[in-house]
Amino acid sequence: MMDPVDTLLAMVLLSVLISFGSSRLPALIKVIAFQGVAVSIVPLFMGHEMTWGGIVFTLATLMIRGIGIPVYLSRAIKKVAIHREVEPVVGYHASLLAGLVLIVAAIYVSPKFNLPVGKGYILLLPSAITLIVAGMFLLMARRNAIAMVLGYIMMENGIYLVGTTFSMRAQHIVEFGILLDVLAGVMIMAIILQNIKKTFNDVNTTLLRTLKE
Amino acid sequence: MVETIILIPLVAGILAFFLPRTSGRLLLVLTGAVHLVSSVLLWIYRPEALLNDYFAVTPEGLLSLIVISLLFFLIAIYTRSYLEAAEIHAEHVFAGSMLLFLGSMTLVTLSDHIMVMWIAIEATTLASAPLIYTHRSGASIEATWKYVLICSVGIALALLGSVLIALSMDIGNVDAPMSFSSLTQVAGRLDPLWLKTGFIFILVGYGTKMGLAPMHTWLPDAHSEAPSPASALLSGVLLNCAYLGIFKTNKIMHAAGLGDFSGTILMVFGLASIVAAATFILKQTEYKRLLAYSSIENMGIIAFGTGIGGLGAYGAMLCLIHHSLIKSSLFLCSGNILIGYASRAIEGTGQLAKRMPKTFVALFGGFAGISGFPPFGIFFGELFIIIAAFRAGHYGAVSIFILSICVIFAGFIKHIIRISFGPSPSTIRMEEQPTMIWPQYVLLVTSVVLCFWMPDTLYETIRLAVATIGGGI
Repeated sequence: MMDPVDTLLAMVLLSVLISFGSSRLPALIKVIAFQGVAVSIVPLFMGHEMTWGGIVFTLATLMIRGIGIPVYLSRAIKKVAIHREVEPVVGYHASLLAGLVLIVAAIYVSPKFNLPVGKGYILLLPSAITLIVAGMFLLMARRNAIAMVLGYIMMENGIYLVGTTFSMRAQHIVEFGILLDVLAGVMIMAIILQNIKKTFNDVNTTLLRTLKE
Repeated sequence: MVETIILIPLVAGILAFFLPRTSGRLLLVLTGAVHLVSSVLLWIYRPEALLNDYFAVTPEGLLSLIVISLLFFLIAIYTRSYLEAAEIHAEHVFAGSMLLFLGSMTLVTLSDHIMVMWIAIEATTLASAPLIYTHRSGASIEATWKYVLICSVGIALALLGSVLIALSMDIGNVDAPMSFSSLTQVAGRLDPLWLKTGFIFILVGYGTKMGLAPMHTWLPDAHSEAPSPASALLSGVLLNCAYLGIFKTNKIMHAAGLGDFSGTILMVFGLASIVAAATFILKQTEYKRLLAYSSIENMGIIAFGTGIGGLGAYGAMLCLIHHSLIKSSLFLCSGNILIGYASRAIEGTGQLAKRMPKTFVALFGGFAGISGFPPFGIFFGELFIIIAAFRAGHYGAVSIFILSICVIFAGFIKHIIRISFGPSPSTIRMEEQPTMIWPQYVLLVTSVVLCFWMPDTLYETIRLAVATIGGGI
């Protein structure tokens, strides 16, 4: 039987492919919510010693990454999006192919890093790399401002996965500060989105071209 | 004591959101004054922080803090009159964000923990975003969007870099707190490969915030769209805060014996920024964007000097302090020009010497200072950097450096002469109030005075800050 961590991470990798192939924003938000839940609970299964502080922190992460941010964003979408399409720069099929290549490459290069930590979980490093690069891909390959915010969150999820699984040394209070920053960042982005909608009547970033050199 | 100076502006900022609209004007000045007094006290007594895992009073932090405090106080005095003259929606949001911004920048200067530093720098982005959106126009929303998104993504890379440095501790079997001071002590035992990778990510991440090319694209937009007092803060001190993150990581690299590696990368990014600024400055049509590109140039000079190390690092520190003083005074002048001529375009101005003589003196003085003329400090800073580069044998790099600075000077003076003496389109709308003039003069005079008479304690603090990277005269 597969280890729960690797099972979960395999699903995370699949969800990246779903996000690359989907044209609808609500579907993309569901993917982000799932990834948020997955990266928050992975540390629970890794056999690290769990203190009360650790459990409280994991729950807080779960609440914010898995529930808070996605719910907040889907509300923002209801307010702003007329077109619920992600308006791709790179088409869906090409994106899917890029996603597959990315996952294969990540799995191929990961063992070469030869990290002493997190051994035994073959998908840990590949998932982290995939999430970070996939987030950047969405930032560049989608014109819809909401899809770009979602790309940013995906990237953050990947970094969080690296942070919690490879190094347990940061104190929870510090981790919590990082989490609050990310949450506040997403909220501010959502407010800006609503204002973009108010000013331009759309959230397509090609409209944002007046300040160009 | 150390923590209170962070809390004062944060509490005042939250308060400003709930107070009546115009009360923020006074609150800004009062908080600025209290903050300045506390910073001076902190400079004199240098107490231990209560939470010493997270905060510490370091020489480089103190230097940045005192500059932030002084600038904020003077800018607050200017802002009081500016808010009366300019029309700004939601003034309480503006005042509150200014104060929260001050609080987050104070947090940056005093944080010692590598992750707390990250939290603080991301907080500066979030606190300053509403400032850029103050005018509520299409262009300002675009600038805010670019600023928040590009900086957040950039800073996320810095978080990855910080995590990788934690990883280099795990691999090197180092058990120490994750603070910059303790990491510098145990630097030799960190895994060099992951430390290098972490440094690159941190440089790209905080470099985005600092405005190093090619990650600088948000900077001209944000600085030109924000109201002038906010631009003065953004350019004068926010860029320094991001630099502080890079500087402290660079110190770890030097302590680990990887100074050549980090120095070379810093020099490359620095030169790229100077060249990028030289390319774009010639064809600017707006004076605030002109100043913004000049900030990119100066950040490039600072990164270049830090990369060379030794005398160059000392020169970089001088440039850092004087750039803050002079550039914020220039941005405040741009505020007067904007109110007076109601145009951002260089073409929309003219005859400044006749129409607003006092602003003209400050603008021209600031221009001479920022272009590296004596008796302003940037002259000495750049001179030290050039000497250090020649000594270290970087002849190719230093020729590009000097050439670009000449091009920038040529581009700059063309525009400044157009503003000062060129044909003027219409009459101006503004009387030059004393409170909107003398903050600029104080800033410029401070820069001149510091050139001729630098207090021993200041010299000693700069020397301590750059000691690890071989700095000092």
